[in-house]
Amino acid sequence: MDFFPLWLSLKVSVTATILTVATGLPLAWVLALKRFPGRDLAEALVVLPLVLPPTVLGYYLLVLISRQGAIGRVLDAAGIELAFTWRAAVLAAWVGSSALFIKAAQAGFESVDRRLEQAALTLGRSPWSVFWSVTLPLASRAVMAGTVLAFCRALGDFGITLMVAGSIPGLTQTTPLAIYDLVQSNRMAEANTLSLIAVATVALLLMGIGRLARLRF
Amino acid sequence: MALSLEVRKALPGFTLDVAWEAGDEVVTLFGPSGAGKTLTLQCLAGLVRPDAGRIVVNGTVFFDGARGVDVPTQRRRLGYVFQGYALFPHLNVRDNVAYGLRHLIASARRERTREVLERLGLADLASRRPRELSGGQQQRVALGRALAPDPALILLDEPLSALDLPLRQALRDDLRAVLAEWRTAAVLVTHDFTEAYRLGDRIVVYEAGRVIQTAPRAELLWQPASERVAGIVGIRNVLHGTVLKATPDRIQFSWRGQLLEAVNSPSRSYLPAPDSALAFFIRPEYVRLIRKDRGSPDPGHHMNLMQGRVVGEADFGTTWTLYVRLDAPGAPAQGEYDLEIEVPRLVYEILDLARDRQWQLSIHRGSIHVLPSS
Repeated sequence: MDFFPLWLSLKVSVTATILTVATGLPLAWVLALKRFPGRDLAEALVVLPLVLPPTVLGYYLLVLISRQGAIGRVLDAAGIELAFTWRAAVLAAWVGSSALFIKAAQAGFESVDRRLEQAALTLGRSPWSVFWSVTLPLASRAVMAGTVLAFCRALGDFGITLMVAGSIPGLTQTTPLAIYDLVQSNRMAEANTLSLIAVATVALLLMGIGRLARLRF
Repeated sequence: MALSLEVRKALPGFTLDVAWEAGDEVVTLFGPSGAGKTLTLQCLAGLVRPDAGRIVVNGTVFFDGARGVDVPTQRRRLGYVFQGYALFPHLNVRDNVAYGLRHLIASARRERTREVLERLGLADLASRRPRELSGGQQQRVALGRALAPDPALILLDEPLSALDLPLRQALRDDLRAVLAEWRTAAVLVTHDFTEAYRLGDRIVVYEAGRVIQTAPRAELLWQPASERVAGIVGIRNVLHGTVLKATPDRIQFSWRGQLLEAVNSPSRSYLPAPDSALAFFIRPEYVRLIRKDRGSPDPGHHMNLMQGRVVGEADFGTTWTLYVRLDAPGAPAQGEYDLEIEVPRLVYEILDLARDRQWQLSIHRGSIHVLPSS
């Protein structure tokens, strides 16, 4: 059987998760600690992808990144093709999973005792240094849990990926899409194997979160 | 060390408006909860930005509202011991103490950390996490962490309030010794007068966002600036009489039908007009009971004589407090009684106070303290 979808899913999910953490961490920190006008709107926008139908999300994304779209035109001028490539699948997974990560990390940052950060400042450390040495380590459980959730969500994305990356076998067909295809063409044994591997991977990761949640300082 | 502070900060429902100065000493900010003591420390450390004012430490302007100066917390380099200590839970004792030493090279950092742990008796606990420590040990670590970078000034917010009472008393003296040994100027916040008195060379009394007196500690106890200070400091037997005659040395006044004489303070030159109201206080432990078995009282020794009856008492273990009602017509000055008197347990037993309730009292004129009207 063809294991390409598994390999692609891994590549897409890992890349998307790195992207999610890199962009979500500062956003979560700002939402947790800063008060600014438009904060409520920002929070709503962050949560929106969680509740919108994936196809709607995928549709808007496609409009943005297609050659005529606002982002697509810029990328096209730079000679980068995004729509219907594996990179579009990464984009889809990133959009689908960011909210889970941001909300978890935000809750983690909010739960850190502000006096600990203040104590760190009085000891001569810059706010940047305080973030890495106090805030992040103390929120690390929530951040890790958010990362795992985001990875699982990225691994399982179907709707958004289908809209922006298509389901091109050997190119953009990730595991969930491959399973759908296999079932359509009545290749149940292969669908079974892929499904089992997907379930096992996610179950193991979620058990990992459970362990993390029990870790204490 | 020289500190001058002038701060105004308006919060919803509360305004802090204070100014005081301090030198090379331990200053305690004392007052009831919610008087603005902690807020003052936060302004001093740069954790809260005042609306207006000026904060200068050792010639460095930390804050000047008029000129827009506001040095960020991390560059003020003050030690801060938080209420509840705020130790880093994810770091062990050694790393907590070393946290403020990032500016040193690794070997110097290790050396300084070792020295601080050694001096505070924490060497054996170096690898423990804060949650594995007792309250007293946590306090030491918090002190060590704040003192390690050798700040010119250390701020302590209720450093003893997280501790149980017996430990609290032991650590109070311990803290005093550490501050003296490290020769660090300190500003300490407390709502406990005993703590303020034991730890502070100088006491700044706060009430509702304002400073109502700043004085060396002894002066505060014996010459509170006003009746309000006396009340906050917890002085008992604060009473009201009517002036008969005031000179720079003496004040004569009447109270509950008695003619009393008190020492005036020439330095304060407080000369109230005859017939004006006068507030004064008598420390409970300075009221003498005149023994009936010692012959007639010597008029030269005993003064401000009064007759009264013990109408209530309270056992405080090492001392007894007696509530005495004078044999004078009219309502007693403090509800059911006129004077609160404190006697050592031994005296209580020798004089058989449990059975003998009728007494002659005497108060030396030096023990009646006149409170200037505020």
